Amino acid sequence: MAFQSNALCFGSDLPGQGIPSHVETTPEGLALTFSDQHSQPPVPFDQLSLEAGGFDHDQLVVKWTQGGASRTLYIKDAAVIAAFRHAAPPELLAHFDRAAASVRQVRTTRRTVLLAVVGLLVTLGLGAWFGSDALATWAVSLIPPEWEKQIGESAMKDVLAQQEVVREGPVVDAVKEMTTRLTEQIANSPYQFTVTVVKSPVVNAFALPGGSVVVFTGLVKEAKSPEEVAGVLGHEINHVLQRHGMERIVKTLGVMAIAAIVFGDQQGLIGLAKQLGVEIITLKYNRDQETEADLTGLRLLHKAKVDPAGMIAFFERLAQSEKETQRVELLSTHPMSARRAGQLTAELKALPKFLPEPFAFDWEKVQASIKSSDAQPKL
Amino acid sequence: MKIEILYPGAFPMARVQLAAGESLKAESGAMVSISTTIDVESKVEGGLLKALSRRVLTGEHFFFQTLRAVRGAGEALLAPTVPGDIVIIELDGVHEYLVQKDGFLAGSEQVRIESKMQSLARGLLGGEGFFILKISGEGQLILNSFGAIHKVELKPDEEYIVDNSHLVAWTATTTYKIEKASSGWISSFTSGEGFVCRFRGPGLVYLQSRNPQGFGSWIRQFIPASSE
Repeated sequence: MAFQSNALCFGSDLPGQGIPSHVETTPEGLALTFSDQHSQPPVPFDQLSLEAGGFDHDQLVVKWTQGGASRTLYIKDAAVIAAFRHAAPPELLAHFDRAAASVRQVRTTRRTVLLAVVGLLVTLGLGAWFGSDALATWAVSLIPPEWEKQIGESAMKDVLAQQEVVREGPVVDAVKEMTTRLTEQIANSPYQFTVTVVKSPVVNAFALPGGSVVVFTGLVKEAKSPEEVAGVLGHEINHVLQRHGMERIVKTLGVMAIAAIVFGDQQGLIGLAKQLGVEIITLKYNRDQETEADLTGLRLLHKAKVDPAGMIAFFERLAQSEKETQRVELLSTHPMSARRAGQLTAELKALPKFLPEPFAFDWEKVQASIKSSDAQPKL
Repeated sequence: MKIEILYPGAFPMARVQLAAGESLKAESGAMVSISTTIDVESKVEGGLLKALSRRVLTGEHFFFQTLRAVRGAGEALLAPTVPGDIVIIELDGVHEYLVQKDGFLAGSEQVRIESKMQSLARGLLGGEGFFILKISGEGQLILNSFGAIHKVELKPDEEYIVDNSHLVAWTATTTYKIEKASSGWISSFTSGEGFVCRFRGPGLVYLQSRNPQGFGSWIRQFIPASSE
């Protein structure tokens, strides 16, 4: 039968790394065989002393003296420990109980320390996340817009790599006209806005730091009027202008810095950061940022003489669909659409009245072009 | 699996030959080259927070790569980030090693790797974070060090003192306490040995002959301040 070691034997006359051994309990004591198949003289129970040891305090440490040399045996195998305990005479059981008590004490201490550390980390993390808005805003104000542009462009490449970009046609022309009309109204903008149309049924649009805006054809298809799309664009453009994306990045980096401290400056963490780069850039905005983008977006529409009723109508329709899906506001990063529509209506009342000017493109033709391209079979 | 150390000394590499179907766990970034029969799996799934919590709560690691000989036998060359020795340790099932995170280079498939929280004092003062790796099982383990690697054998109850930053790995049968290098706080820091580990045998302690933090601060003086 192949030699099966279940313990490590150390001694003043043995090599420092210890000798893998096989231990068995007999009615008289311990029978020990070294890995070189060398049987050791049996050790009677009354010569043994016991304690708990090892890194996790999960090993039984048995000590005795044999022919003038000290022996220390580390046993980890639970079955061997159980057999040992079963065979041990009553005097030795007291040793077992003392060892077990010390294991329990060590474990309790460790658990307390672990809880304290986890608690501290959670507090630090939450503090960094919620308490650092002002700090993040200040840090972002130091970042030059060119950096934002580079970050946005590299993220854009990753995003568009898996998407079908619509390069020309009525939808692209219409979205460009809307964007130009809105961005013309921004005084001294450090950003050059570029808009890309992506063919996708998703009803959404998003903006990356530095001014890259993406509109999905699904949004244009589902919108009831061009003013609704312009409303969403106004909102997204303001995420860029208020530098919300950069604030999220700075805050996330802050949390990662804490993680780096906890885990040591780990190379893997850097690799992870790179891998999650795109994920970080498309992180969700928080609710305050959404509200800010809503209100500034509305003012931008007002300035560009685009009918803000479209933006409000869009949120009202979203509110209707939320009622159906019963979304819970607390859990959501976006404020509830009904509340957003209400806030926008109130803000609109505060602004001076104006006569909206329609867009130059033919809205019906734009929507028809999406439907016809959807109908085309995919190659 | 066959492991061979090429160019031993300051700039070694480990050559690992995998039979078809065999796999190897390696530190992320350790791979130098691989045969086309080998696939690298290192995807972190579920995002940063999930990976972190997995790691913290269950001890599952997120920064390792698995090199798998999917399409037949092949070889992989592995190298650590820092200059220094590589050693191969044969795990026999009864020895357990505790390894500071930067010390792990690779291990065979049957090697079990767990993250362990070390004592609060060492976590805060040791400069290696709160987690270390506990490595057990049967198979081969490759460790790397900054500088040369040195093995110290401790007899039962023998004590030995090691500077924190020079620790690479130690066996689980040893116990250690963290303490100040010299009495009095000021002399501890001015002697350049802030905190040390007092190990107690039996077992093995692996040391590295260079101190990464010390090297870092030495090299920092030569880096010109950024010019605006």
